[in-house]
Amino acid sequence: MSDYVLQTEDVAVHYGGVRAVDGVEITLQRGQIRGLIGPNGSGKSTVIDAITGRRRLTRGKVLLRGEDVNAMGIVERRRRGLSRSFQRTSIFGQMPVRKQVELASSMMGSADPGADADEVLRELSLDTRGATIAADLGYGEQRRLDLAIALAGRPAVLLLDEPMAGLSMRESLDLARHLKALTARREVSVLLVEHDMDVVFGISDVVTVFELGRVIAAGTPAEVRANARVREAYLGSAA
Amino acid sequence: MLIHLFNGLVHGTLLIVMCSGLALIYGLRRVVNFAHGSLYMLGAYLGYSIALHSNFWVALLVAPALMALLGALLDRWGFRLLQDRDPLSVVLVTFGLLLVIEDFVQTVWGKSNLSIATPATLAFPVDLLGTQVPAYRLAVIALGAAVALGLTLWLRFSRAGLYVRAASTDPVTTAMQGVNTDALSAFVVGLGTALAGLAGVVAAPFLSLSPSMSSDVIIDSFIVVVVGGLGSLAGAFVAAMLLGLLQAFGAVWLPEASVLLPFMLMVGVLLWKPEGFAGSRT
Amino acid sequence: MNLPRLLLSTTVALALGVAVALGVHSATLLSLLTQAAIHAIFALGVGLLLRQNGMVSFGHALFFGAAGYVVAILLRVKAVPAETAMLLAVLGSTAFAFLIGLVIVRVPGIAFGMLTLAIGQMAYLGASRSRGLTGGADGISVEWPSALFGMPTATLLQPWAMLLLAWSVLVLVLLMLALLLRGHFGALTEATRDNEERARFIGIRTLLPRATVYALSAGITSLAGVLAALNTGFVSPESLHWSLSGVALMMVVVGGTRVLWGPALGAAVYFLAKDLLGDHAQHWMAIFGVALIVVIVFAPTGLSGLLLRLVRASPGGAAPRPGV
Repeated sequence: MSDYVLQTEDVAVHYGGVRAVDGVEITLQRGQIRGLIGPNGSGKSTVIDAITGRRRLTRGKVLLRGEDVNAMGIVERRRRGLSRSFQRTSIFGQMPVRKQVELASSMMGSADPGADADEVLRELSLDTRGATIAADLGYGEQRRLDLAIALAGRPAVLLLDEPMAGLSMRESLDLARHLKALTARREVSVLLVEHDMDVVFGISDVVTVFELGRVIAAGTPAEVRANARVREAYLGSAA
Repeated sequence: MLIHLFNGLVHGTLLIVMCSGLALIYGLRRVVNFAHGSLYMLGAYLGYSIALHSNFWVALLVAPALMALLGALLDRWGFRLLQDRDPLSVVLVTFGLLLVIEDFVQTVWGKSNLSIATPATLAFPVDLLGTQVPAYRLAVIALGAAVALGLTLWLRFSRAGLYVRAASTDPVTTAMQGVNTDALSAFVVGLGTALAGLAGVVAAPFLSLSPSMSSDVIIDSFIVVVVGGLGSLAGAFVAAMLLGLLQAFGAVWLPEASVLLPFMLMVGVLLWKPEGFAGSRT
Repeated sequence: MNLPRLLLSTTVALALGVAVALGVHSATLLSLLTQAAIHAIFALGVGLLLRQNGMVSFGHALFFGAAGYVVAILLRVKAVPAETAMLLAVLGSTAFAFLIGLVIVRVPGIAFGMLTLAIGQMAYLGASRSRGLTGGADGISVEWPSALFGMPTATLLQPWAMLLLAWSVLVLVLLMLALLLRGHFGALTEATRDNEERARFIGIRTLLPRATVYALSAGITSLAGVLAALNTGFVSPESLHWSLSGVALMMVVVGGTRVLWGPALGAAVYFLAKDLLGDHAQHWMAIFGVALIVVIVFAPTGLSGLLLRLVRASPGGAAPRPGV
């Protein structure tokens, strides 16, 4: 248990009579990329919300580097190294690109927020747009900015909610490569919610499969692909 | 005692007529119409001029009609053009409009107090449970009740009313359903301004007309609409009556408290449940 | 604007103030400029709240008037020296604003505006109805002592001196804001303004910064209130009325909030244009109302925004950068 950088124990989120998520157990080791896949509405985003503190847990625990973060709010969890990106782009519309990434970096406790911001922007091909006001960016650029804000300051645990949505093929590959590089250096561990199967199976070390709010399978990409239940429920014969 | 109750009812009735307009405009256009008090005033002054050349009853019909026209234009060339801007911008535009209308009224009709005579047919006292009350004011209460009832029935049972309720809740889907939301908005805003104007004409015989009329009522109308629950007509009715009664009784018994209490209520409602205002569209 | 340029601009602006104060001999003009400067400070406070928090206050006259009343009452009961009274008025307003700010900045959208309207009106009604200390609807005169800050008050009240004082305060407030907002605090509050949820997700505790901005905006406005009490020697409930807040808001919108000095420009336009109108001045509010509407519809960044675009469009213009 102490080895895991992130762990959920029997997490359940129920609201308004809906059992969005039930009995979810996820583990994430240092430097690992875990993909979360499943049909729409299977609870993947809710799990991210629960881990980051955006949603209250009905039951269960979330452990960040061994520490129970249940009592902590969004801000405290962020300050303990937990960072996320958003499925629906969430950026600071009236601020210049570089300024907001630099702010995110400094809030993360970065020693040199300016240099860190420059590096992150370079990695996401936004370095030429540093002075542009976020609202003036194109859709794909705004998606990348959302990611840049999440990546700023090298958070220990990165939760990415459909980061490839809205990115071109080329941009997706670049991002995938970049994530792989980050985790290879064991600086960052990633939980990745994604629809793009190729990407998920391509870069993930381990995969968890969701259906109707429950985990139906977990393991290496190969194991998951071979899992009969998963094929039946989700992958079909295309896998 | 009874006279205070009666006066409270009269005042409450005026507020009902005026504030239902404000509530309708907010419900449909999400605009807090700062100019509403000045529209009330403009209606009263128009009524005065019309009555001068004909009689009160003609004024009662024509002034609100003119105001309705103004309202439709305001919606078409104001609210509709600004509907994609942030709500604060539109509110400030109505504030600018308030200044323009106030100046217009002062320029055309001057600064001194004017009055309309109570229509002859209603200029007699009525014996109400042992107290003498002016028949006209009784008629005002009746009118207010009629307006409240009429609006409620219209919203509940008519097709237009259904569209208004739908558009107030979800304008995008309503438009997608093929309802001509632009025409509907023009109609509703026109109705709202007509109601403000109607309140003005009706109030004219017993409240003298002065350029400060609009600022006198605007705060009251905001209190009513906020405490009643934004966009809620029924809430506005109840809050209007309560405010009218509170002010009538309070003026005699607890002047300081009765003036501050409505504000405290407004503050309380805004702190406790601001969602009514909170740009639920965004 | 980098630091050296900022300090240079400040020095130039102060020097300009001295030149105008000593060069202009018309007492009427000096008095008009002083009023404009005081209202510019008022508008700056309202504008700060809009710029950094994205919040519109219809009740800032509360701080303007209350500061004047605090000074007047303290002087009347001779509780403290005048200089202390002025300081207390400003600090007290700031502290009070911070406390209520902790509660009210959580209220979203137009509801916040209505709330400030209600609070402001309560103050107005309270002041106009209570006899005794606040003088009721008639207001009270401010009994300034014969010496203030080591100078004879009579000298200080000379039109040129008042203008110099008001203008210097305006320039220094602008400098202070520019220094404060160019750093971490500025970025923090802008992020919170643009996207409160994401701000929390990057680790910003959003309540304190917003309450601080509210308190700061109140403090600046109260400073204007103290200066007004000095300038006119009188405070009345009108200084608490929501219509005054409305006028300040109009100055902010007409001037624009893209740059810090936008609201000050709006105040200048308000006063100077009103003066130029001469005979038509009685229609001034309507004209300003039209100006407000025109600006909102066609030039949402205000007059300062227009000016900046003209400067950039010209050959010597600098690269587009929002800020001071």
